[in-house]
Amino acid sequence: MNAPTVAATLSPAPYRPAGSLDLATALAPYSGPWNDRLAGHLLRRAGFGGSPADVARAAGGSMNAAVDALVRFDASALPAGPELADERTSRADVMLLRQQQVGANSDQITMLKKQANQLRAKNRVAAQLWWLDRMITSPAPLQEKLTLFWHGHFTSSWEKGTSTQALVDQNQLFRRSALGNIRDLTLAVSKDPAMLRYLDNTQNVKAHPNENYARELMELFTLGIGNYSEDDVRESARAFTGWSIDRDTGTAAFLPRRHDDGSKTFLGQTGNFDGAAIVAIIFQQPACARWFATKLLSFFVYSDPEPGLVNAVANELRAKNFELAPVMSTLLRSNVFYSERAYRALVKSPAEFVAGAYQLYSIPQAKPIALQAMRRMGQVLFYPPNVKGWDGGIAWLNSQTLLTRENFASGLVNQMNGDSWLGNAMSSLQPNQVAKNLTQTILFGDVAPQSIGQLVAYLGGTGVSALGSLSGENADERVRGAAYLTMAMPAYQLS
Amino acid sequence: MKRSNFLIGAVSGLAVVGSTGSLFAQALAQAPLPGLPGGADRVLVIVNFQGGNDGLNTIVPFANPAYYRYRPTLGVAAGDVVRLNDQIGLNPALTPLKALYDSGKVAIVQGVGYPDPVLSHFRGTEIWQTAAPDKYLSTGWLGRYLDDANLPAENLFNAVALSDVLPEVLVSEKVDVPAIQQLQGYGLTSDRNVANRAAFHEFVQDNRVPFNSPYLAHVAEIEDHAQRGAQELPTLVAGYKTDANYPATPFGRSLALAAQIIGSKLGTRVLYVTLGSFDTHTTQKATQDRLLADFANGMTAFYADLAAHGNDGRVLTMTFSEFGRRVGENASRGTDHGTAAPAFLIGGNVKGGLYGSHPSLDDLDNGNLKYNTDFRSIYATVIERWLGRAPSGIIAGSFPTIGALA
Repeated sequence: MNAPTVAATLSPAPYRPAGSLDLATALAPYSGPWNDRLAGHLLRRAGFGGSPADVARAAGGSMNAAVDALVRFDASALPAGPELADERTSRADVMLLRQQQVGANSDQITMLKKQANQLRAKNRVAAQLWWLDRMITSPAPLQEKLTLFWHGHFTSSWEKGTSTQALVDQNQLFRRSALGNIRDLTLAVSKDPAMLRYLDNTQNVKAHPNENYARELMELFTLGIGNYSEDDVRESARAFTGWSIDRDTGTAAFLPRRHDDGSKTFLGQTGNFDGAAIVAIIFQQPACARWFATKLLSFFVYSDPEPGLVNAVANELRAKNFELAPVMSTLLRSNVFYSERAYRALVKSPAEFVAGAYQLYSIPQAKPIALQAMRRMGQVLFYPPNVKGWDGGIAWLNSQTLLTRENFASGLVNQMNGDSWLGNAMSSLQPNQVAKNLTQTILFGDVAPQSIGQLVAYLGGTGVSALGSLSGENADERVRGAAYLTMAMPAYQLS
Repeated sequence: MKRSNFLIGAVSGLAVVGSTGSLFAQALAQAPLPGLPGGADRVLVIVNFQGGNDGLNTIVPFANPAYYRYRPTLGVAAGDVVRLNDQIGLNPALTPLKALYDSGKVAIVQGVGYPDPVLSHFRGTEIWQTAAPDKYLSTGWLGRYLDDANLPAENLFNAVALSDVLPEVLVSEKVDVPAIQQLQGYGLTSDRNVANRAAFHEFVQDNRVPFNSPYLAHVAEIEDHAQRGAQELPTLVAGYKTDANYPATPFGRSLALAAQIIGSKLGTRVLYVTLGSFDTHTTQKATQDRLLADFANGMTAFYADLAAHGNDGRVLTMTFSEFGRRVGENASRGTDHGTAAPAFLIGGNVKGGLYGSHPSLDDLDNGNLKYNTDFRSIYATVIERWLGRAPSGIIAGSFPTIGALA
């Protein structure tokens, strides 16, 4: 089959920050002032924002110490996965019954199918909550952030009957490889059962090559359109023939009888290539390092990065043999990362918004309603819209997604308990002090004086408010309401 | 209300909220629609049969013995079919639609599909909504129409999706489309905003912040749209009264709201409604009959309502579904994902009747029907003859229009 091509560019609209880039010093270590505002920026980008205490801790030390704390984690210590029921058994039950009964009653099959569907739905919710909770509570926020990055890059989803277990396994691969070698990860993804199914490589056999994976590997994962030919797609598809899944175990399997071991010519090189050789050749192309550099910059720094900046990061990637850890370490300490042009220059994804809001109030466990809200905000974990992943940026923003964000925030402030930072302690303060605290803690002061004035009026119950005056009876509600209103300010939608 | 910020330029007309809002909206509605002769005030309602509707049991080839061989338990008995000619007829669940059909208000396009069909719900839906089987587009075909039509930028309701998530079909580059499942509960759930409305608008519009983000203006504008839209819509449509007899179903409620929005003359050009789920892998008959009856009863009430308010001539409804279903039924008295299926065009400038030919049951593609009308031909027809724009600016490729619209 012919896989669709991608019409949109990586960043659908040119939302590059105003001002100009100082390329000569862009990747040099930042040595300017270090404060809450920049610590907050770092924690939002390299994690999900953290709690006010997390920010204070990062701001209290040096920038280097804060980055060290983020990039140094034990990637091999994986969290236990979610508890999932075995979907294969329930499917097997249906198949078995179907074989046994010939023309007998179909009600049993119907019931078993329903049960299988319910079980699958339950697994999906369990996996999504498990991951969301990881984002909120992981001691290694950068690892979770990169897991989200890789999920949006090497997309796979529940489409095509992929089991939740397979997607969780893939998720753990991303977590394990979060800061690892990108070439190794690309090869591992090429053998990942969820990917093999999602992009049809299970159907890629010598007699009838299926080009879907080979094409997307180059078009979306490593090179981008214009850096390979249709012949390269065909030839690399042949190299990936037989890279499949063992039917019984569900694990990756090489099926030699399906593999085309003839000679292939790919990107100017000829040999009896298999998939591993294809990945190795791809990573020799200059376009490959530029592709990953663009994706990393767009996700961690700002949209539509300048070609010069892309080249600089691409050079770093090549110099470090595609090891991501040293490159991310450089990026998170760089002048460009802490520049005003990068500040609040990205739109929070729903995952960032939701996980970040939970962290803000130190609520350790997401409720299923958060998944509903994320769906309405446009992001279903393990279910990106297509192989291109989430468009992000401007695409997160429409009337309905923003209303959902605001309503979610409103619900969340109701959940806060009295011993959170926003608890009763604040209610005893003066309105102007509360407004100042809130806008400082939630927005790091990224707010206009006029908005602070409105918050003071709201807290004080004057003028526009229908709640009456600030009193013992409604002080708590007023503080929660003001926290919510602060989260509804445009700055809070931005990372 | 104080509005001291950069958005004044973009939304200047909308200072007229509240009591004068509906007057303003009526003025918008009377503005001529670009590209259409005579400044017609036309609305397109698009109905998504979610989940993949079984076309074969919607428009039934009752005279074809092969149909009953493929559908031993699901086949609709010839005697039950609502005959449209001596070969095919409507599923009896669609009986209420027959009156509209007989009055020439219903066109049925048979065998609609596209080359190399995709049998995935997700991708199939995306293909129908973006009108791009061979590309990933980030806008929908009606979103591109909204961009193309130069509709008044200050109107918050150029298009409305009656759903809880904005469908891809209405994703546009320039026009923010609200998604409203029902009027009640739409918008901000917290009375914190009600208590503090004016201040809230200041927050969301305030750009005098100590940073400079490329996205800030956009966020502020959309957030302001969202909040003002949610606040104003109930007032704008409050004057509309109807005694039409809509089904007491989510679909019926959506159609009632659609008629209300249309009748309130907000300048709305496109409405999106969903019906489903049609994903009938098991015990299809009960589910599909219920949904088809919902559709037929809903459409009947909708057009009666529109007619009572003099709006029926300016509203065209079209249906789509991500795919039809497999010709042969499965062991669970259901059908699996398939390909070509019929589409309905109702009201507006429809020339009633059957278009295209019923897909052959003797020439299948892996057990699936072969299409004979590309869905983009219907889109091109609607764009050109109803929306008054050039299809080439909205959908890639060239597709012949069909005769179903005058």
